[in-house]
Parts: sequence; C-alpha cells; structure tokens
Amino acid sequence: MSLFVAAFGFGLVSMSVIALAAVGFTMQFGITNMINLAYGEVMIASAYVAYYIDQTGISIWVAMIGGAIFGAVFSFLINRFIYAPFMRKGTANLGMVIVSLAVSLMIANLLLPIVGYYSVSYRERFGSIVRLGSVVLTVNQMLIIALAVVVMLAIHALLRYTRLGKAMRATAANPTLARSSGIPTQRVIDIVWLITGALCGLAGTVAGLDSETFAIASGAGFLITALAAAVLGGAGQPYGAMVGAVVIGMVTELSAAAWSPDYKQVVAFGILVVVMVLRPQGLLAKRGALAAAG
Amino acid sequence: MNTYYAANLLIFAGVDIIACIALNLQFGVSGIVNFSFIVFQAAGAYAAAVLSMPPDTAADYSFQIYVGGYQLPFPLPWIGGAVVGGLLAIPIGIVVLRKLRSDYQAIALLVTSIIANTVITNARPFLNGAAGLALVPQPFQDQIDTATDTYQYVYIGLTAVAVAIVWFVAARIVNSPFGRSLRAMRDHELAATAIGKNPVALKMTIFIVGGAIAGLSGAILVGFLQVWAPSTWLYPETIILFAAVIVGGRGNNLGAILGALLVPVGFEEVTRLLIRLNIGPPNLIPALEWVLIGLFILGFLWFRPEGVRPEPRRVFEGSPEPEVERVRAA
Repeated sequence: MSLFVAAFGFGLVSMSVIALAAVGFTMQFGITNMINLAYGEVMIASAYVAYYIDQTGISIWVAMIGGAIFGAVFSFLINRFIYAPFMRKGTANLGMVIVSLAVSLMIANLLLPIVGYYSVSYRERFGSIVRLGSVVLTVNQMLIIALAVVVMLAIHALLRYTRLGKAMRATAANPTLARSSGIPTQRVIDIVWLITGALCGLAGTVAGLDSETFAIASGAGFLITALAAAVLGGAGQPYGAMVGAVVIGMVTELSAAAWSPDYKQVVAFGILVVVMVLRPQGLLAKRGALAAAG
Repeated sequence: MNTYYAANLLIFAGVDIIACIALNLQFGVSGIVNFSFIVFQAAGAYAAAVLSMPPDTAADYSFQIYVGGYQLPFPLPWIGGAVVGGLLAIPIGIVVLRKLRSDYQAIALLVTSIIANTVITNARPFLNGAAGLALVPQPFQDQIDTATDTYQYVYIGLTAVAVAIVWFVAARIVNSPFGRSLRAMRDHELAATAIGKNPVALKMTIFIVGGAIAGLSGAILVGFLQVWAPSTWLYPETIILFAAVIVGGRGNNLGAILGALLVPVGFEEVTRLLIRLNIGPPNLIPALEWVLIGLFILGFLWFRPEGVRPEPRRVFEGSPEPEVERVRAA
C-alpha cells in the first residue's frame, strides 16, 4: 500500500512535468494549427542549454530561465524561418507534419555532435527530502509541483483576463475573422510561439531534472507524453491538456508501481489508443479556452 | 569490386525499392502518412526469422529467447513475413484509420512506431528484447554454401524476383479502377465519398497491402543480414523512406524506385566513402547524414514537391480535357 502512496507522490510530480510540456504543445496546435513534432527535441535542446549553465555553478532554478529563454527564441525562429513560410506557401496539414518531423530529426542530429551520446544530469538532482505522511518527495520535486501550479494559473490568467489572451482565443477560433476584426494575428502567432517555446524550454529542463538523467534520445519520449496528454484532453485546448496531464501522470506512475517502470510510455500509449477509439475529439471536446483547430 | 560488396548493394537496393513501392502505395497514391511503416518491415523480418529458426532450446540458439522456431523451408518464411505484415495492419488500421483526421493519423502512427519499439525492446521473452535475434538461417543454406559467390548470386536473384512481383502488383493496383479510387480519395476525400467510394475501406485495403509488402521487404532483409534487433527499426528509418518517396516523386512507382536508389542506397554509399576519410569525431558523419535527409525533405517540399519524376497526369477518354487538347492540336 505504501508503494502506491509513494507512487501517488511521484504521480503529482509527473503530472506537473507533463502539464508544462503538454500545455505549450497544445497551444501551438490550437492557435497556430501546427502539430509541432519537433517539440520534444526543442525540449531536449533547452534542457542541454540549462545543463551547460548549471555546469558553471549557477543554480538549476536560474539555469531553467536560460532554458526557457532558449526554448522561446528557438521555437520562434523555427516557426519564422521554416513553418510559417511553408504554411504561407499553402502546404497542407499533412505536409506540415512531415516538415516538423524532418525538423525534429535535424535538431536531434545537429545536437548530437555538440552534446554527445551520453546521458547527463544536473548537479542538484537530488536535494533534501520532505515527508508529508507517507508521501516522500525531494525539495526539487516540491518545487517542480509548485512551479507547474504557478505556470498553469498564469496561463489561465493570460487566456482569461488579458487582451492578448482574448486575441489568442480569437485567432484560434477563426484566424480570418480575427484579422478582419483588427487583431494583428501575425503578431499574436509570433507571441504564441515565444510563450509556448518558453513553456517548452521550461518543461524540457524540468523533465531533465525529474528524470535524473537525460540524453538526446529522450526527446521522443518527451514528445510522446506531451502528445498523449494533449490528445487525451482534446488537442488544441490548454485546459484539456492540463486534465490529460493529470490523468497520464497519475496513471503512468501508479502503473509503474504496480507493474514495471519500463512500460510507463506504453501505458500512456494505451490510454491514447482507448481515447482515439472511443472519443477521438478528446475529453474536453469543444470546451475550454480554445476550440480545436480545423 | 568483390561479389559480396555487389550483393550487399543490390540486395539493399532491392529491399529499399520494395519498401518504397509499398510506402508510395500508402503515402503517394492514397495519402496515408504512415509514420509507422518501419514497424511493418520489422514485423515481417521478425516473422521470417522465427519461422526459419529452430526453437530457442536448440543447442546453438539457447543464448536467445523467442517465440516460435519452426524451421520452415524457403519460401515459407518470406510468405509468412508478408502475411504478418498484412495482419498487423488490421488492428493498427482499425484504431487509426477509421475516425481520426489525417494529421492525427500521422501522429498516432508515429507514436505507434516509437511504442512498438519500446515494447519489443523491453519484452525480452517475446523476441529477445534489445539484443534481438541472431543466426537467422538463410534461404537454401542447406543446399548451397552461403560463403560462396554462387550463393550471393542466388540471393540477388531471389530479391530481383521479389522486386519484379511487387512491381507488377503495385503497377496493377495503381492502374486499376481501385487505384483511381485511391487517388480520388487522396485528392478529395469528401468528393470521393460523395460518388460512393468508402474511404475507410479503401484506406484499410491499401494499408494491409502496403503492410504485407513491407513485411516481405523485412523478410528479405533478415534472410540476408541474419540479425534483427530493435535498433535496426527506430522511427527515423521511416523518415528515410519518406524522403525517398518525396524525392523520387509521390504517386508513381517509377518515382518510388528512383527515390529508393537516390536516398537510402545513395546515402549508404556516400557514408561508406566519407567514413573512410575520417573527418571529425566518429559519429559526426552519420549525424550530418540525418541532417542532410531532413534538408532533402524540406528542400524538395519547398522547391519541387512533386519530386524528381512527377506523377503523370492521367486524362481519360470522354473527359472534357482531351477534347480541348485535340481541338487545339487540330
């Protein structure tokens, strides 16, 4: 029983990491209509940027900001110089999926010669332990949960209470109408790539911290969990992605305790298959801040 | 140039051609972005391997654990590979192709590919996990000494026959009314549905046919390599084949063959040459090769999305366009 209580604690951490990743991914899709399969690789690249800052002796919590800035700028540039031109050219959604997968492959293999094949870890990966009843977590894990809660509230506030958030929702719902109504959709989309890129960078660093070690090869796994949470909640919908993250994070950790940690991603995939068969539109269909694009 | 090198080159070319024809049927002709294509090749390879290998209790084979081990003679393992590839397409197709939007289908298939690899890597008793299968028997190895040049020619011949059969089948499909329906669905699914075509049935059929051909390509490959492991079918391998079909020209089988010769075979050869030059750290060249494949895809999609050899425009008698052309010619 205590195994499951401990797994519940890890589930809280997992869902925080997944939520950070999935919300950024799903907002990219919802607002810019782009299934960005390079998301996992940008996460890894940002995690490495944070790693190099971390190696200079700066705290990982500061290095994380570096990772987030890198993720924001990198995502922005990928969109500016690759995705946006292809979209303007009228490439179909399917073509864009192939483009983003090619980009993902290129990022991973440009990074390989720079960072090498071996796994790395941040200096502060353990930290002291906090006990809450039978739930045992490290200080780092507590901070990850707190960070995720703060970021989720910030996203909620952004979408709900700011002019920018309103413009984002309008762009997601109907880009042409939004433009006709005087919303500078191009600028909104640029800002969305910066914000979601920052989330992506933050999520990459946090995922690296949570999984203790990471390597280039971790990118695919990062992408799959973010994808699973986003699709589960209804792709394009930030609140759906949050719900998806809670389900996937908790179920994968409990299954790891009950079965084997090797199959965490497989369980996430199993949930994804069930959703795709029974409810392809996701749990929160046509609800939440952003309607599914297309 | 020694025979083994030539055999290596020709057999890889044959396998890549078969795979590209299958992917072209799915992606080029029918518009299904099958990002888990390599899984079907892998399934065929594993099936052919366990059909031809002795049980894992046999003396020389006890270092690995796997299901099956039926010691079937050629050509049963190859046929088995194709059958398993086709059968695997059924459950995956049912989950992915029925309700999902086309770009969702693509990501669902990508995720399937990554997960299938994870499962096979971790579930060791099934197909020997990460270490994979080794000492897979070659066709006719009891009759002909596999170390001789003759055997290399025999294997090249077998591969060539398989390529010819696949080419024939694919050509028949592409030029048949069924092929027309597939293209209609690819170009305008709603319109095809409106004239009574069932897109789900069309997609399922071509998904199964493509899966079977992919399985055959895996069977040929494993018979030659004699080893098969999860590291040989990671999802980027599918991207190489996509690059080949895009570069060669989507929607026509000649384009697929051209792409197979230009991309997987061409890259393999160039890498072999470059690695000999010893530039930079050991993994630099293979990594840059992947970057180049990505650039190839982006470059072709940008500058020449129809590929080196574009799909021929098909005009039919009785349609208004030839009339116009005839008038113009007159």
